[in-house]
Amino acid sequence: MNPKLKNALKRNAVGYLFLSPWLLGLIGLSALPILASLYFSFTRYDMLTAPDWIGLENYRAMFGDQKWRNSMKVTLIYVFLGVPLQLIFALSVAMMLNRGIRGLRIYRAIYYVPSLFGGSVAVALLWRQLFGGEGLVNLLLRQIGLPGYNWIASPDTALYTLIVLKVWQFGAPMVIFLAALKQVPAELYEASRIDGAGRWKQFWRITLPLITPIVFFNVVMQTIQAFQAFTPAYIVSRGTGGPLDSTLFYTLYLYQKGFTHFQMGYAASMAWLLLIVIAFVTAMLFLSARRWVYYQE
Amino acid sequence: MQRILHTWKHGKWLTHLLIIAGGFIMIYPLLWLVSASFKPNTEIFKSGSFIPATFTLENYRYGWQGLSGVTFGHFFLNTFMLVAVCIVGNIISCSLAAFAFARLEFALRKVWFALMLVTMMLPFHVTIIPQYIMFNQLDMVNTYWPLMLPKFFAVEGFFVFLMVQFIRSIPRELDEAVKIDGGGPFKLYGYLIMPLALPAIITTTIFTFIWTWNDFFAQMLYISELKLYTVSLGLRMFLDAMGQNQWGAMFAMSTLSLIPLFVVFVFFQRYLIEGIATGSLKG
Amino acid sequence: MKTRAKAFAMLVLSIVFALGVAACGGGKNSGGSTGGSGDSGGSAQTGSNSGGQSSGGSQETVEIRFTWWGDTARNDLYNAIVDRFEEEYPHIKVKREFGGWADYWDRLATQSAGGNAPDVVSMHQFYVADYAARGALLDLRTVIDSGELDVSLFPQSTLDSGTVNGTLVMIPKGVTMPGWVYNTATLDKLGIAYPDINWTYDDLINISRQVVEKSGGTMWGTPDMGGGQLQPNFRYFVRQNGEDLYTEDGKLGFSRDTLVKWWSMWKQMRDEKLIPDAATTAEYDGVPLEQNLFVTGKVALFQIPANQIYLYEQQFQEGEIHMVRMPTLPDGQNGEYLEGAYLSITAQSKHPKEAALFINFFVNNQRSLELFKVEQGSPANTEMAEFVKPLLAAPQARAVDFIQTVIPYASSAVYAPAGATEVEAAFKDNATAIAFGQKTVEQAADDFIAAANRILQQ
Repeated sequence: MNPKLKNALKRNAVGYLFLSPWLLGLIGLSALPILASLYFSFTRYDMLTAPDWIGLENYRAMFGDQKWRNSMKVTLIYVFLGVPLQLIFALSVAMMLNRGIRGLRIYRAIYYVPSLFGGSVAVALLWRQLFGGEGLVNLLLRQIGLPGYNWIASPDTALYTLIVLKVWQFGAPMVIFLAALKQVPAELYEASRIDGAGRWKQFWRITLPLITPIVFFNVVMQTIQAFQAFTPAYIVSRGTGGPLDSTLFYTLYLYQKGFTHFQMGYAASMAWLLLIVIAFVTAMLFLSARRWVYYQE
Repeated sequence: MQRILHTWKHGKWLTHLLIIAGGFIMIYPLLWLVSASFKPNTEIFKSGSFIPATFTLENYRYGWQGLSGVTFGHFFLNTFMLVAVCIVGNIISCSLAAFAFARLEFALRKVWFALMLVTMMLPFHVTIIPQYIMFNQLDMVNTYWPLMLPKFFAVEGFFVFLMVQFIRSIPRELDEAVKIDGGGPFKLYGYLIMPLALPAIITTTIFTFIWTWNDFFAQMLYISELKLYTVSLGLRMFLDAMGQNQWGAMFAMSTLSLIPLFVVFVFFQRYLIEGIATGSLKG
Repeated sequence: MKTRAKAFAMLVLSIVFALGVAACGGGKNSGGSTGGSGDSGGSAQTGSNSGGQSSGGSQETVEIRFTWWGDTARNDLYNAIVDRFEEEYPHIKVKREFGGWADYWDRLATQSAGGNAPDVVSMHQFYVADYAARGALLDLRTVIDSGELDVSLFPQSTLDSGTVNGTLVMIPKGVTMPGWVYNTATLDKLGIAYPDINWTYDDLINISRQVVEKSGGTMWGTPDMGGGQLQPNFRYFVRQNGEDLYTEDGKLGFSRDTLVKWWSMWKQMRDEKLIPDAATTAEYDGVPLEQNLFVTGKVALFQIPANQIYLYEQQFQEGEIHMVRMPTLPDGQNGEYLEGAYLSITAQSKHPKEAALFINFFVNNQRSLELFKVEQGSPANTEMAEFVKPLLAAPQARAVDFIQTVIPYASSAVYAPAGATEVEAAFKDNATAIAFGQKTVEQAADDFIAAANRILQQ
């Protein structure tokens, strides 16, 4: 056999061998539900009886649905405000904690504590306690003479309390940043210090470029996840979507449509539209990556 | 102590102050939770202070006894087992796939990678029904299989992507060292990439642990038998929107359930922070 | 070569190990165990059925599944009842599943979609129309006629309340009626006279004014009941005006006028600050019992179902909880209709007869009722209702008395058509919009009617 062909086949075989668990999973476990949901999006499906084909009807109805437009708006605000804020915090704290000062080991754990709570009922309760009409935040504000406000139950501010919640739970991207910072070889810092570089320069010239693959990862993943955020809105608004739909995240509305209103077909079409939006945003991010992400390959 | 005084004197007190203040904001809810767990039900929402007017261990006792003779300890064991299996599954399958995407060349690699990313973009609420039907046909409902099986097939693209990024940060020159010694892809995977990607593996461990521990919806759907209940199902048991709620017991058990999470995190983060990572790069 | 093989072997071994642990863990708990804590020891009483006839035929073990919503206290109670059932019918094993209210419905919908629905399900008025309209529930007449389920001691009105579109799909475990409550100590302290059992909406407004005045503005009269769910408050008002929420053929059953009158009344109360402002109402929306406006002492009057009276009494240090009817309309009709918590058999069930035997035991057998008492309402079976009375503590006895006083006023109520949950959402949204000052009452009414008609057309 032609040696080049033989090599190519061998390479492909090895590649596919390593890929096989994932590929099997894709075909065996994921493909069916994904394709099924695509099918549902073209039907009227109440889960209790068989689906009923209605073509593009769901998609058309979405664009005329005021609640749908609102949920999209709410989600976009959450993503484009929440993700950058959270990541900036995460990186700043990671850098602070990476200094190697001994006594701060406990602080590293403490800063991760909020993320341990996840989407628990306790967090929801607490958030309402903090930001409610008679919550701690108002108490503090009144101490310094500012008027209180019902942050969590007023339509104009409720969403922002959820953004604060997201930023507060920055532990996950922070840990990832820490891992990335640790991968930057210490010799580089030493060498640059010998050359007289200050901390700021070290950050811009060494740290940041070398961790861009991870920064990129966090940006992409947090964006994808933020678009699909469900639990914060669900637990804090108790499944309602907040005062006047101000916290009606896209997936929360999707859930309501699917499970509470028995309109799984409509929910499926919402899901696929969201997929298209997320895919588009992600593709943009990947394209931009060529400019600023630096791999050591 | 001396070191703390040292840093104080050298003017980093502002940083220190910020860190402490920030730390308090981080753990305030935890303090609230713990203090509530020691208060009787009727007091929890009435007073705002951290010190219980009536200190009680009743919540812990009541919460621990669980239901119908199945204690909360049982739920903890169930969850530990489930989590352990999930961690192993994720590490193995996701690292294999990540290695393939990051270091190997084969036809359609970019297509599969894109597809993997796309699978993460579909909200699970719409795939859960067909998935449930599928597992029901396989007679796997009311077992842990639907929760564990996918982990062995790299279904969580998050970790695949994470590892891909970490692996791509490893300089290719190091690969050469292995290849010169005559090593093939398996050796590359086992001896070079895996050890160097340890931060990613540890991160995967931590997150799989925490997310599986806290996961609710899938566990609620697939597990209906009390003996199989996990911690998150057990916690929900104390609440009922239409009737009364056992807040104290729920807070007590929530506090207990945070302990393993905290311990796992503290244990593993030491490896993350204190640098096994830098070891082999010098050689 | 050796080391590569070694690494590979380790990889394979760990996979095998993990799968082995999984198989052990996953396997031993699935399939093998049925019925959970069903072994209650003691002598099994074979063949003694009180209040039901067993379906003649095979006595090989049959397994049925029963689900309910509740908290740990109720879970303990129901488990005990199911244990007793298993004692009476040793050849039937009951697998129990439960969850919180919201999770219950998510899981039921998913299980139904997956063809895996339990045999006996707890059912409720909110969702029965959705399930019944889609053929998910068994027509109970079949098991009544074949003798497994005995409803001879059930008043017709209770059976009517479980009938959707002419088919009997659910049987009440407990019947309850909504009413308004106050705490005697609170009103005493404020120096306000207790409302009369047949009080009116004007009385409601008047008492609220007194509450606000005498508490120095620290309390409101009642919560904002103008929005939220269509039942029971709005529905009572509609029925008092001679209409109902829906017509038999699934269209909106009330007029724009009625709606405007209702929302205007509550707007007036809001403007006068007799009820909480929009933000506070939103803040307390869906809040658990221990945290609601009544328990935290922010309002003096509150609307609850009668079976919760004892729960509320536990929350207060002093005073008793007394209940009065829903406010009446002076020249109006009676708004009452039966509510409760129910049991159904799913159409998918493979063991409808055994399921029926279970329901029969649950609602008719003394051994069940002596534990159940009035957990989710007063028993529908008239004999059993009498039977449990001496077992009740004062607040629960008060609840039963109230229910029995008010049942005679009840008339049949049309069930919501499929899609009603969306109509509810439209109602709530528009009412909230009024509260936040984003729409006028007239505008909101128009919007709601338009939305409801559109939803119900489909």
